[in-house]
Amino acid sequence: MKYIKIYSACVKTAFSQAAAYRADFIMGSFITLLSNILFPLVTILIYANGAEFPGWDMWEVLLIQSVYSMSTGISSMLLSSVVWVTMDHIRGGSFETVLLKPVSPLFFIMASNFDVQSIGLFLGGVIMAVIAAVHTGIGGLMDVVAFLLLFVAGLLVLCGMNLMMAAISFKWVGNSRIPEIFDSISTFGKYPLTIFPRAVQILSVLIIPVAVIGFFPASALLGRVDGKAFLSLIPCVLFLCLGIWLYNKMIRLYEGVGG
Amino acid sequence: MKKLKHILEECKAVAFVTYKEWSAYRTHSLVSVFVGPVYFIVQYFIWTAVYGDMGSLAGLELSETIRYFGASALIGYLTMDFADWNLQMLIRTGKFLTFTLRPMHHRFFALSQKIGHRVLGFFFEFLPCLLIFMLLFKVEIWPQQFGWTLLSVALAFLMNFYVNYCLGMTAFFLVKASGIRVVYQLFAQIFSGALIPLNFFPQILQKVMIFLPFQYTNYIPAMVWTGSEKIGVLGLSVPQAVLCQAAATLFMFLFSEVLYRCAMKQFTAVGA
Repeated sequence: MKYIKIYSACVKTAFSQAAAYRADFIMGSFITLLSNILFPLVTILIYANGAEFPGWDMWEVLLIQSVYSMSTGISSMLLSSVVWVTMDHIRGGSFETVLLKPVSPLFFIMASNFDVQSIGLFLGGVIMAVIAAVHTGIGGLMDVVAFLLLFVAGLLVLCGMNLMMAAISFKWVGNSRIPEIFDSISTFGKYPLTIFPRAVQILSVLIIPVAVIGFFPASALLGRVDGKAFLSLIPCVLFLCLGIWLYNKMIRLYEGVGG
Repeated sequence: MKKLKHILEECKAVAFVTYKEWSAYRTHSLVSVFVGPVYFIVQYFIWTAVYGDMGSLAGLELSETIRYFGASALIGYLTMDFADWNLQMLIRTGKFLTFTLRPMHHRFFALSQKIGHRVLGFFFEFLPCLLIFMLLFKVEIWPQQFGWTLLSVALAFLMNFYVNYCLGMTAFFLVKASGIRVVYQLFAQIFSGALIPLNFFPQILQKVMIFLPFQYTNYIPAMVWTGSEKIGVLGLSVPQAVLCQAAATLFMFLFSEVLYRCAMKQFTAVGA
Protein backbone atom coordinates (compact mmCIF):
# COMPACT_ATOMS: atom_id res chain seq x y z
CA MET A 1 0.00 0.00 0.00
CA LYS A 2 2.86 2.32 0.93
CA TYR A 3 4.52 1.66 -2.40
CA ILE A 4 1.31 2.35 -4.34
CA LYS A 5 0.90 5.68 -2.54
CA ILE A 6 4.49 6.68 -3.26
CA TYR A 7 4.17 5.64 -6.88
CA SER A 8 0.94 7.55 -7.49
CA ALA A 9 2.42 10.65 -5.82
CA CYS A 10 5.46 10.41 -8.10
CA VAL A 11 3.32 10.00 -11.22
CA LYS A 12 1.27 13.05 -10.21
CA THR A 13 4.49 15.01 -9.78
CA ALA A 14 5.70 13.89 -13.22
CA PHE A 15 2.46 15.18 -14.78
CA SER A 16 2.75 18.45 -12.87
CA GLN A 17 6.31 18.88 -14.12
CA ALA A 18 5.17 18.22 -17.68
CA ALA A 19 2.40 20.79 -17.22
CA ALA A 20 4.98 23.37 -16.14
CA TYR A 21 6.69 23.05 -19.53
CA ARG A 22 3.59 22.45 -21.60
CA ALA A 23 5.05 23.56 -24.93
CA ASP A 24 8.06 21.27 -24.48
CA PHE A 25 5.80 18.39 -23.47
CA ILE A 26 3.41 18.87 -26.41
CA MET A 27 6.32 19.30 -28.85
CA GLY A 28 8.12 16.25 -27.48
CA SER A 29 4.99 14.09 -27.58
CA PHE A 30 4.19 15.31 -31.10
CA ILE A 31 7.67 14.43 -32.35
CA THR A 32 7.40 11.01 -30.73
CA LEU A 33 4.01 10.53 -32.33
CA LEU A 34 5.40 11.62 -35.71
CA SER A 35 8.34 9.24 -35.44
CA ASN A 36 5.83 6.52 -34.66
CA ILE A 37 3.84 7.26 -37.77
CA LEU A 38 7.00 7.16 -39.86
CA PHE A 39 8.23 3.93 -38.27
CA PRO A 40 6.09 1.59 -40.45
CA LEU A 41 7.09 3.49 -43.59
CA VAL A 42 9.51 0.75 -44.63
CA THR A 43 6.71 -1.83 -44.54
CA ILE A 44 4.37 0.44 -46.50
CA LEU A 45 7.02 1.11 -49.14
CA ILE A 46 7.81 -2.59 -49.49
CA TYR A 47 4.16 -3.41 -50.16
CA ALA A 48 3.73 -0.33 -52.37
CA ASN A 49 6.47 -1.74 -54.59
CA GLY A 50 4.58 -4.98 -55.10
CA ALA A 51 6.60 -7.10 -52.66
CA GLU A 52 5.48 -8.68 -49.40
CA PHE A 53 6.48 -10.59 -46.31
CA PRO A 54 5.46 -14.11 -47.37
CA GLY A 55 2.16 -15.09 -45.76
CA TRP A 56 1.46 -11.67 -44.28
CA ASP A 57 -0.46 -8.79 -45.79
CA MET A 58 0.50 -5.19 -45.14
CA TRP A 59 -2.05 -4.49 -42.42
CA GLU A 60 -1.08 -7.63 -40.52
CA VAL A 61 2.58 -6.57 -40.50
CA LEU A 62 1.56 -3.06 -39.45
CA LEU A 63 -0.45 -4.57 -36.61
CA ILE A 64 2.67 -6.41 -35.39
CA GLN A 65 4.63 -3.17 -35.52
CA SER A 66 1.96 -1.13 -33.80
CA VAL A 67 1.66 -3.65 -30.95
CA TYR A 68 5.44 -3.44 -30.67
CA SER A 69 5.15 0.37 -30.40
CA MET A 70 2.47 0.08 -27.72
CA SER A 71 4.67 -2.23 -25.66
CA THR A 72 7.74 -0.01 -25.97
CA GLY A 73 5.57 3.01 -25.14
CA ILE A 74 4.45 1.51 -21.86
CA SER A 75 7.88 0.20 -20.93
CA SER A 76 9.39 3.60 -21.75
CA MET A 77 6.89 5.31 -19.48
CA LEU A 78 7.63 2.98 -16.61
CA LEU A 79 11.23 1.95 -16.98
CA SER A 80 13.29 3.61 -19.70
CA SER A 81 14.52 6.29 -17.30
CA VAL A 82 15.82 3.59 -14.97
CA VAL A 83 18.63 2.98 -17.44
CA TRP A 84 19.59 6.62 -17.89
CA VAL A 85 19.13 7.67 -14.27
CA THR A 86 21.11 4.70 -12.96
CA MET A 87 23.81 5.39 -15.52
CA ASP A 88 24.01 9.07 -14.57
CA HIS A 89 24.11 8.31 -10.85
CA ILE A 90 26.91 5.78 -11.30
CA ARG A 91 28.95 8.06 -13.53
CA GLY A 92 28.44 11.01 -11.23
CA GLY A 93 29.08 8.94 -8.11
CA SER A 94 25.79 9.99 -6.55
CA PHE A 95 24.03 6.63 -6.31
CA GLU A 96 24.32 6.86 -2.51
CA THR A 97 21.47 9.35 -2.56
CA VAL A 98 19.29 6.58 -3.94
CA LEU A 99 20.62 3.88 -1.62
CA LEU A 100 19.89 6.01 1.43
CA LYS A 101 16.17 6.27 0.67
CA PRO A 102 13.93 4.11 2.90
CA VAL A 103 12.54 2.19 -0.09
CA SER A 104 13.97 -0.26 -2.60
CA PRO A 105 16.47 1.59 -4.86
CA LEU A 106 14.93 0.09 -7.97
CA PHE A 107 11.44 1.14 -6.94
CA PHE A 108 12.61 4.63 -6.03
CA ILE A 109 14.24 5.21 -9.42
CA MET A 110 11.24 3.74 -11.23
CA ALA A 111 8.72 5.82 -9.36
CA SER A 112 10.60 9.11 -9.38
CA ASN A 113 11.34 8.99 -13.10
CA PHE A 114 7.99 8.26 -14.71
CA ASP A 115 8.41 9.34 -18.34
CA VAL A 116 5.29 11.27 -19.30
CA GLN A 117 6.49 11.98 -22.84
CA SER A 118 6.36 8.30 -23.79
CA ILE A 119 2.59 8.63 -23.77
CA GLY A 120 3.02 9.89 -27.34
CA LEU A 121 4.73 6.64 -28.27
CA PHE A 122 2.01 4.55 -26.70
CA LEU A 123 -0.85 6.57 -28.22
CA GLY A 124 0.79 6.45 -31.64
CA GLY A 125 0.94 2.68 -31.33
CA VAL A 126 -2.70 2.50 -30.27
CA ILE A 127 -3.87 4.66 -33.19
CA MET A 128 -1.85 2.58 -35.63
CA ALA A 129 -3.10 -0.68 -34.10
CA VAL A 130 -6.73 0.42 -34.36
CA ILE A 131 -6.31 1.40 -38.02
CA ALA A 132 -4.54 -1.88 -38.80
CA ALA A 133 -7.10 -3.93 -36.86
CA VAL A 134 -9.97 -2.29 -38.74
CA HIS A 135 -8.43 -3.57 -41.98
CA THR A 136 -7.44 -7.02 -40.78
CA GLY A 137 -10.35 -7.72 -38.46
CA ILE A 138 -9.73 -9.45 -35.14
CA GLY A 139 -10.57 -12.88 -33.75
CA GLY A 140 -13.04 -13.73 -31.00
CA LEU A 141 -13.07 -13.04 -27.26
CA MET A 142 -10.55 -15.78 -26.52
CA ASP A 143 -8.17 -14.24 -29.04
CA VAL A 144 -8.45 -10.88 -27.28
CA VAL A 145 -7.73 -12.56 -23.94
CA ALA A 146 -4.72 -14.32 -25.50
CA PHE A 147 -3.60 -10.96 -26.90
CA LEU A 148 -3.75 -9.33 -23.46
CA LEU A 149 -1.87 -12.19 -21.86
CA LEU A 150 0.90 -12.15 -24.47
CA PHE A 151 1.00 -8.36 -24.46
CA VAL A 152 1.69 -8.36 -20.71
CA ALA A 153 4.33 -11.04 -21.28
CA GLY A 154 5.96 -8.78 -23.87
CA LEU A 155 6.04 -5.98 -21.30
CA LEU A 156 7.83 -8.31 -18.88
CA VAL A 157 10.51 -8.89 -21.53
CA LEU A 158 10.98 -5.16 -22.09
CA CYS A 159 11.11 -4.54 -18.35
CA GLY A 160 13.70 -7.29 -17.99
CA MET A 161 15.74 -5.75 -20.79
CA ASN A 162 15.66 -2.29 -19.23
CA LEU A 163 16.77 -3.67 -15.89
CA MET A 164 19.60 -5.64 -17.48
CA MET A 165 20.78 -2.54 -19.31
CA ALA A 166 20.74 -0.56 -16.08
CA ALA A 167 22.54 -3.42 -14.30
CA ILE A 168 25.28 -3.54 -16.93
CA SER A 169 25.95 0.15 -16.40
CA PHE A 170 27.21 -0.63 -12.88
CA LYS A 171 30.14 -2.45 -14.49
CA TRP A 172 30.40 -0.71 -17.87
CA VAL A 173 30.38 2.79 -16.44
CA GLY A 174 29.10 5.67 -18.51
CA ASN A 175 28.50 3.78 -21.72
CA SER A 176 25.50 5.52 -23.22
CA ARG A 177 25.44 3.02 -26.07
CA ILE A 178 24.31 0.05 -23.97
CA PRO A 179 20.65 0.52 -25.04
CA GLU A 180 21.70 0.18 -28.68
CA ILE A 181 22.72 -3.42 -28.01
CA PHE A 182 19.24 -4.30 -26.75
CA ASP A 183 17.50 -2.19 -29.40
CA SER A 184 19.30 -4.11 -32.11
CA ILE A 185 18.28 -7.47 -30.63
CA SER A 186 14.65 -6.44 -30.19
CA THR A 187 14.44 -5.49 -33.88
CA PHE A 188 13.68 -9.17 -34.51
CA GLY A 189 10.39 -8.63 -32.67
CA LYS A 190 9.17 -6.01 -35.14
CA TYR A 191 8.69 -8.40 -38.06
CA PRO A 192 6.81 -11.66 -38.68
CA LEU A 193 8.78 -14.38 -36.97
CA THR A 194 8.21 -16.73 -39.89
CA ILE A 195 10.62 -14.81 -42.14
CA PHE A 196 13.56 -15.69 -39.91
CA PRO A 197 15.43 -19.01 -39.96
CA ARG A 198 14.66 -21.67 -37.35
CA ALA A 199 17.66 -20.83 -35.14
CA VAL A 200 16.66 -17.18 -34.92
CA GLN A 201 13.07 -18.17 -34.19
CA ILE A 202 14.14 -20.37 -31.27
CA LEU A 203 16.45 -17.63 -30.01
CA SER A 204 13.77 -14.96 -30.14
CA VAL A 205 11.11 -17.14 -28.50
CA LEU A 206 12.99 -19.06 -25.84
CA ILE A 207 16.31 -17.36 -25.10
CA ILE A 208 15.66 -13.64 -25.57
CA PRO A 209 11.88 -13.68 -26.10
CA VAL A 210 11.60 -10.57 -28.27
CA ALA A 211 8.99 -12.29 -30.46
CA VAL A 212 6.56 -11.84 -27.57
CA ILE A 213 6.86 -8.05 -27.71
CA GLY A 214 5.07 -7.56 -31.01
CA PHE A 215 4.68 -10.71 -33.08
CA PHE A 216 2.85 -13.09 -30.72
CA PRO A 217 0.30 -10.62 -29.29
CA ALA A 218 -0.55 -9.36 -32.79
CA SER A 219 -0.83 -12.93 -34.08
CA ALA A 220 -3.16 -13.71 -31.18
CA LEU A 221 -5.36 -10.76 -32.07
CA LEU A 222 -5.51 -12.06 -35.63
CA GLY A 223 -6.41 -15.52 -34.38
CA ARG A 224 -3.20 -16.90 -35.88
CA VAL A 225 -1.44 -18.04 -32.75
CA ASP A 226 -1.17 -21.66 -31.62
CA GLY A 227 -0.63 -23.16 -28.17
CA LYS A 228 3.15 -23.24 -28.59
CA ALA A 229 3.26 -19.45 -28.34
CA PHE A 230 2.14 -19.69 -24.72
CA LEU A 231 5.28 -21.69 -23.92
CA SER A 232 7.15 -18.45 -24.37
CA LEU A 233 5.39 -17.07 -21.27
CA ILE A 234 7.86 -19.01 -19.11
CA PRO A 235 11.01 -17.41 -20.58
CA CYS A 236 9.28 -14.01 -20.35
CA VAL A 237 8.77 -14.36 -16.59
CA LEU A 238 12.29 -15.73 -16.21
CA PHE A 239 13.64 -12.81 -18.22
CA LEU A 240 12.05 -10.30 -15.85
CA CYS A 241 13.24 -12.22 -12.80
CA LEU A 242 16.75 -12.29 -14.25
CA GLY A 243 16.59 -8.52 -14.80
CA ILE A 244 15.51 -7.82 -11.21
CA TRP A 245 18.07 -10.26 -9.78
CA LEU A 246 20.88 -8.83 -11.91
CA TYR A 247 20.04 -5.23 -11.01
CA ASN A 248 20.00 -5.97 -7.28
CA LYS A 249 23.18 -8.02 -7.58
CA MET A 250 25.04 -5.35 -9.54
CA ILE A 251 24.14 -2.64 -7.02
CA ARG A 252 26.72 -4.30 -4.77
CA LEU A 253 29.41 -3.47 -7.31
CA TYR A 254 28.74 0.24 -6.94
CA GLU A 255 31.69 2.18 -5.64
CA GLY A 256 30.64 5.54 -4.28
CA VAL A 257 32.78 8.64 -4.38
CA GLY A 258 31.04 10.64 -1.72
CA GLY A 259 27.70 11.46 -3.39
CA MET B 1 52.03 26.74 -49.57
CA LYS B 2 53.29 27.72 -46.13
CA LYS B 3 49.76 28.67 -45.10
CA LEU B 4 48.38 25.37 -46.33
CA LYS B 5 51.03 23.50 -44.36
CA HIS B 6 50.11 25.50 -41.29
CA ILE B 7 46.41 24.70 -41.74
CA LEU B 8 47.18 21.01 -42.10
CA GLU B 9 49.31 21.07 -38.97
CA GLU B 10 46.51 22.74 -37.03
CA CYS B 11 44.04 20.17 -38.29
CA LYS B 12 46.41 17.32 -37.43
CA ALA B 13 46.99 18.66 -33.91
CA VAL B 14 43.29 19.08 -33.10
CA ALA B 15 42.42 15.73 -34.70
CA PHE B 16 45.15 13.96 -32.74
CA VAL B 17 44.05 15.45 -29.41
CA THR B 18 40.42 14.49 -30.13
CA TYR B 19 41.54 10.98 -31.07
CA LYS B 20 43.43 10.64 -27.79
CA GLU B 21 40.53 12.08 -25.82
CA TRP B 22 37.97 9.69 -27.30
CA SER B 23 40.34 6.74 -27.12
CA ALA B 24 39.47 6.66 -23.44
CA TYR B 25 35.97 5.61 -24.53
CA ARG B 26 36.98 3.16 -27.24
CA THR B 27 34.76 0.42 -25.82
CA HIS B 28 31.82 2.71 -26.64
CA SER B 29 32.83 2.49 -30.28
CA LEU B 30 33.21 -1.26 -30.00
CA VAL B 31 29.46 -1.53 -29.29
CA SER B 32 29.09 -1.02 -33.04
CA VAL B 33 30.91 -4.30 -33.64
CA PHE B 34 27.88 -6.04 -32.15
CA VAL B 35 25.09 -3.66 -33.11
CA GLY B 36 26.12 -3.16 -36.76
CA PRO B 37 26.19 -6.86 -37.70
CA VAL B 38 22.93 -7.56 -35.80
CA TYR B 39 21.08 -4.85 -37.72
CA PHE B 40 22.67 -6.14 -40.90
CA ILE B 41 21.48 -9.70 -40.22
CA VAL B 42 17.94 -8.40 -39.63
CA GLN B 43 18.06 -6.53 -42.94
CA TYR B 44 19.43 -9.63 -44.65
CA PHE B 45 16.53 -11.81 -43.49
CA ILE B 46 13.91 -9.14 -44.16
CA TRP B 47 15.03 -8.51 -47.70
CA THR B 48 15.66 -12.14 -48.51
CA ALA B 49 12.06 -12.85 -47.50
CA VAL B 50 10.70 -9.81 -49.30
CA TYR B 51 12.47 -10.56 -52.57
CA GLY B 52 11.36 -14.20 -52.55
CA ASP B 53 11.45 -15.26 -56.17
CA MET B 54 11.47 -11.72 -57.49
CA GLY B 55 14.53 -10.92 -59.59
CA SER B 56 14.59 -7.23 -58.83
CA LEU B 57 12.64 -4.74 -56.82
CA ALA B 58 12.59 -0.98 -57.42
CA GLY B 59 15.44 -1.50 -59.88
CA LEU B 60 17.66 -3.28 -57.35
CA GLU B 61 18.58 -6.95 -57.24
CA LEU B 62 18.70 -8.73 -53.88
CA SER B 63 22.51 -8.85 -53.83
CA GLU B 64 22.62 -5.11 -54.56
CA THR B 65 20.18 -4.36 -51.75
CA ILE B 66 22.19 -6.46 -49.28
CA ARG B 67 25.39 -4.71 -50.38
CA TYR B 68 23.59 -1.39 -50.08
CA PHE B 69 22.72 -1.99 -46.42
CA GLY B 70 26.25 -3.18 -45.64
CA ALA B 71 27.75 -0.12 -47.34
CA SER B 72 25.23 2.15 -45.65
CA ALA B 73 26.21 0.85 -42.20
CA LEU B 74 29.91 1.23 -42.94
CA ILE B 75 29.47 4.74 -44.33
CA GLY B 76 27.60 5.65 -41.15
CA TYR B 77 30.68 4.78 -39.10
CA LEU B 78 32.87 7.01 -41.23
CA THR B 79 30.57 10.02 -41.41
CA MET B 80 28.90 9.97 -37.97
CA ASP B 81 28.73 13.45 -36.54
CA PHE B 82 27.43 15.42 -33.60
CA ALA B 83 28.77 18.88 -34.42
CA ASP B 84 25.22 20.20 -33.99
CA TRP B 85 24.97 19.04 -30.39
CA ASN B 86 28.43 20.33 -29.57
CA LEU B 87 27.89 23.75 -31.12
CA GLN B 88 24.48 24.34 -29.58
CA MET B 89 25.91 23.37 -26.19
CA LEU B 90 28.76 25.87 -26.60
CA ILE B 91 26.33 28.61 -27.58
CA ARG B 92 23.82 27.90 -24.83
CA THR B 93 26.44 27.82 -22.11
CA GLY B 94 28.28 30.84 -23.47
CA LYS B 95 31.48 28.85 -23.93
CA PHE B 96 31.44 29.73 -27.61
CA LEU B 97 32.95 33.07 -26.60
CA THR B 98 36.32 31.40 -26.00
CA PHE B 99 36.31 30.18 -29.59
CA THR B 100 35.63 33.60 -31.04
CA LEU B 101 38.81 34.77 -29.34
CA ARG B 102 40.97 32.05 -30.91
CA PRO B 103 42.91 32.61 -34.13
CA MET B 104 41.04 29.76 -35.79
CA HIS B 105 37.58 29.55 -37.33
CA HIS B 106 35.40 27.42 -35.06
CA ARG B 107 34.01 25.49 -38.03
CA PHE B 108 37.53 24.40 -38.98
CA PHE B 109 38.24 23.46 -35.37
CA ALA B 110 35.03 21.37 -35.22
CA LEU B 111 35.85 19.73 -38.55
CA SER B 112 39.31 18.80 -37.29
CA GLN B 113 37.71 17.36 -34.16
CA LYS B 114 35.40 15.30 -36.31
CA ILE B 115 38.34 13.98 -38.34
CA GLY B 116 40.05 12.81 -35.14
CA HIS B 117 36.85 11.28 -33.83
CA ARG B 118 36.16 9.40 -37.03
CA VAL B 119 39.73 8.12 -37.35
CA LEU B 120 38.95 6.37 -34.08
CA GLY B 121 35.67 5.18 -35.61
CA PHE B 122 37.62 3.87 -38.58
CA PHE B 123 39.74 1.60 -36.38
CA PHE B 124 37.16 0.54 -33.80
CA GLU B 125 33.93 0.48 -35.84
CA PHE B 126 34.52 0.54 -39.57
CA LEU B 127 37.37 -1.97 -39.88
CA PRO B 128 35.94 -4.66 -37.54
CA CYS B 129 32.51 -4.43 -39.18
CA LEU B 130 34.02 -4.50 -42.68
CA LEU B 131 35.90 -7.67 -41.76
CA ILE B 132 32.76 -9.24 -40.24
CA PHE B 133 30.73 -8.46 -43.37
CA MET B 134 33.45 -9.78 -45.66
CA LEU B 135 34.77 -12.79 -43.78
CA LEU B 136 31.85 -13.94 -41.63
CA PHE B 137 28.83 -13.01 -43.74
CA LYS B 138 30.68 -13.47 -47.06
CA VAL B 139 29.14 -10.31 -48.50
CA GLU B 140 30.87 -8.82 -51.53
CA ILE B 141 31.19 -5.53 -49.77
CA TRP B 142 34.43 -4.24 -51.28
CA PRO B 143 33.63 -1.09 -53.33
CA GLN B 144 33.22 -1.67 -57.04
CA GLN B 145 34.92 1.62 -57.94
CA PHE B 146 37.29 2.39 -55.11
CA GLY B 147 38.36 5.91 -56.16
CA TRP B 148 34.84 7.22 -56.72
CA THR B 149 33.66 5.58 -53.51
CA LEU B 150 36.45 7.23 -51.54
CA LEU B 151 35.56 10.60 -53.00
CA SER B 152 31.84 10.09 -52.42
CA VAL B 153 32.33 9.05 -48.79
CA ALA B 154 34.63 12.05 -48.22
CA LEU B 155 31.92 14.34 -49.61
CA ALA B 156 29.29 12.64 -47.44
CA PHE B 157 31.59 13.20 -44.47
CA LEU B 158 31.75 16.93 -45.25
CA MET B 159 28.07 17.20 -46.13
CA ASN B 160 27.01 15.61 -42.87
CA PHE B 161 29.31 17.95 -40.99
CA TYR B 162 28.14 21.15 -42.71
CA VAL B 163 24.46 20.25 -42.32
CA ASN B 164 24.94 19.49 -38.64
CA TYR B 165 27.00 22.62 -38.15
CA CYS B 166 24.18 24.70 -39.66
CA LEU B 167 21.71 22.96 -37.34
CA GLY B 168 23.96 23.75 -34.40
CA MET B 169 24.08 27.39 -35.48
CA THR B 170 20.32 27.68 -35.10
CA ALA B 171 21.11 27.89 -31.38
CA PHE B 172 22.47 31.41 -32.04
CA PHE B 173 18.88 32.38 -32.80
CA LEU B 174 16.89 29.94 -30.65
CA VAL B 175 19.32 29.31 -27.75
CA LYS B 176 18.09 25.74 -27.37
CA ALA B 177 18.00 23.89 -30.67
CA SER B 178 17.35 20.37 -29.44
CA GLY B 179 13.83 20.27 -30.96
CA ILE B 180 15.14 21.14 -34.42
CA ARG B 181 17.87 18.51 -34.05
CA VAL B 182 15.36 15.80 -33.20
CA VAL B 183 13.09 16.70 -36.12
CA TYR B 184 16.04 16.80 -38.52
CA GLN B 185 17.36 13.45 -37.30
CA LEU B 186 13.92 11.96 -37.76
CA PHE B 187 13.68 13.06 -41.37
CA ALA B 188 17.34 12.30 -42.05
CA GLN B 189 16.88 8.72 -40.92
CA ILE B 190 14.15 8.19 -43.48
CA PHE B 191 15.15 10.37 -46.40
CA SER B 192 18.88 9.64 -46.25
CA GLY B 193 18.12 6.09 -47.30
CA ALA B 194 19.39 4.55 -44.06
CA LEU B 195 16.17 2.57 -43.50
CA ILE B 196 15.34 1.72 -47.10
CA PRO B 197 16.95 2.65 -50.45
CA LEU B 198 15.31 5.74 -51.90
CA ASN B 199 14.43 3.76 -55.06
CA PHE B 200 11.43 2.46 -53.10
CA PHE B 201 9.97 5.94 -52.60
CA PRO B 202 7.44 7.42 -55.05
CA GLN B 203 9.17 9.16 -57.98
CA ILE B 204 7.84 12.60 -57.12
CA LEU B 205 9.31 12.34 -53.63
CA GLN B 206 12.64 11.16 -55.04
CA LYS B 207 12.70 14.26 -57.27
CA VAL B 208 12.02 16.54 -54.32
CA MET B 209 14.81 14.85 -52.37
CA ILE B 210 17.36 15.91 -54.98
CA PHE B 211 17.07 19.41 -53.54
CA LEU B 212 17.34 18.29 -49.91
CA PRO B 213 20.61 17.39 -48.17
CA PHE B 214 19.61 13.99 -46.81
CA GLN B 215 20.47 11.64 -49.67
CA TYR B 216 23.96 13.11 -50.11
CA THR B 217 24.95 11.84 -46.67
CA ASN B 218 24.00 8.20 -47.18
CA TYR B 219 22.06 7.10 -50.25
CA ILE B 220 24.38 8.50 -52.93
CA PRO B 221 27.62 7.25 -51.33
CA ALA B 222 26.05 3.84 -50.62
CA MET B 223 24.91 3.53 -54.23
CA VAL B 224 28.33 4.64 -55.47
CA TRP B 225 29.87 2.04 -53.13
CA THR B 226 27.69 -0.72 -54.60
CA GLY B 227 28.72 0.42 -58.08
CA SER B 228 25.18 0.94 -59.27
CA GLU B 229 24.96 2.01 -62.91
CA LYS B 230 21.81 4.08 -62.50
CA ILE B 231 21.61 6.09 -59.32
CA GLY B 232 18.43 7.72 -58.12
CA VAL B 233 15.37 8.86 -60.01
CA LEU B 234 17.50 10.58 -62.65
CA GLY B 235 19.46 7.39 -63.37
CA LEU B 236 22.81 9.10 -62.82
CA SER B 237 26.12 7.40 -63.53
CA VAL B 238 28.64 7.20 -60.69
CA PRO B 239 30.69 10.28 -61.80
CA GLN B 240 27.50 12.30 -62.32
CA ALA B 241 26.20 11.34 -58.88
CA VAL B 242 29.48 12.31 -57.24
CA LEU B 243 29.45 15.61 -59.12
CA CYS B 244 25.94 16.35 -57.83
CA GLN B 245 27.14 15.45 -54.35
CA ALA B 246 30.10 17.82 -54.69
CA ALA B 247 27.81 20.65 -55.83
CA ALA B 248 25.46 20.05 -52.90
CA THR B 249 28.38 19.95 -50.44
CA LEU B 250 29.80 23.20 -51.84
CA PHE B 251 26.39 24.84 -51.53
CA MET B 252 26.10 23.64 -47.94
CA PHE B 253 29.58 24.98 -47.13
CA LEU B 254 28.68 28.41 -48.54
CA PHE B 255 25.36 28.38 -46.72
CA SER B 256 27.10 27.57 -43.44
CA GLU B 257 29.46 30.53 -43.98
CA VAL B 258 26.57 32.94 -44.65
CA LEU B 259 24.73 31.62 -41.60
CA TYR B 260 27.88 31.94 -39.48
CA ARG B 261 28.33 35.59 -40.47
CA CYS B 262 24.68 36.37 -39.72
CA ALA B 263 24.96 34.58 -36.39
CA MET B 264 28.14 36.44 -35.40
CA LYS B 265 26.36 39.76 -35.85
CA GLN B 266 23.86 38.90 -33.17
CA PHE B 267 25.90 36.69 -30.85
CA THR B 268 25.88 38.01 -27.30
CA ALA B 269 28.35 36.20 -25.08
CA VAL B 270 27.55 35.66 -21.45
CA GLY B 271 31.03 35.58 -20.06
CA ALA B 272 31.62 31.80 -20.36
